[in-house]
Amino acid sequence: MTTGLDPALDTEMLCYCTTLTFGELRAACAAGAWPPPNKERTGKLCTGCQGDLQYCLRLLGVRGPA
Amino acid sequence: MSSELSALMSATFHEVGHAHLVELVHQKDRAARRRLASLRLSAYDADGGLQLDRALDPAEEILDVAALLDEPARRHGRLLVVFDARYDPEVFPYRPHHYGYLHRAESTAPPLYYAVNATLGGVPDRIGAVALNNFETYLFLDRPMSGHHAVAVGNLSRFAPADAEVVSYYDGIRHVETVRLMPKAHTEVKLAPEREGHRLRRVELKALFRMASYVVGRRAGGELVLFDHLFTYFK
Repeated sequence: MTTGLDPALDTEMLCYCTTLTFGELRAACAAGAWPPPNKERTGKLCTGCQGDLQYCLRLLGVRGPA
Repeated sequence: MSSELSALMSATFHEVGHAHLVELVHQKDRAARRRLASLRLSAYDADGGLQLDRALDPAEEILDVAALLDEPARRHGRLLVVFDARYDPEVFPYRPHHYGYLHRAESTAPPLYYAVNATLGGVPDRIGAVALNNFETYLFLDRPMSGHHAVAVGNLSRFAPADAEVVSYYDGIRHVETVRLMPKAHTEVKLAPEREGHRLRRVELKALFRMASYVVGRRAGGELVLFDHLFTYFK
């Protein structure tokens, strides 16, 4: 499921600590493989992307609304 | 962008009337000046509206922020200034630092030097800072100050609003103010110098995720005498 997240963002950085892009997040969610290898700490280090990560995961159907 | 590069998003604030310079890479070594792979600057008004977005030359050493942003700041007020850097982790084993210089025009107060707030990335686990980056503290000096303190806070997210809780302590008295910030929006939360006869001792900032934040001190005439990021104290 990839609706709701603008593909134009795919090359943009989501997590600045693990260098996860929006496209990598989309691909992992579509493959049912979230989190991808070596990206397990996304959102957990500086925490700055935590809000956007939760927002995108909901859009991609990985977690229900908080 | 190469996945081998590391990323860092840092932020500061800019107001008209100040000389404001940022040293884009503070670290130097004997052999050569270290350089970023790329650097982008964007600036946002208080509501999060984009007012400037441009790539910077990573070979540039000192950026004149005032020359770049005085004109939009004159129209839109204080701006949140975001530096989006990519860097080679072999060149910067920890992370690059941007350092700022602030001095109000014609002020007799000394200039302020400050570390630009590294808000997203920089891989905090490289220095063991693995927890609670979204809970920060600042302790004030014991001497009284004429004027007031404030916490300037900005939300660097792309989508998520944030409720930022500014908690100030006056000896045993605790005061909480919560501000809701939309993506890239920012504000300045004023702190009363005293409550019930007790002086301001400490301030904390808490949010679901890390904010861009500074403690600001101004004299009664508005002159800036403190501009410093908060500290996590948890490493």
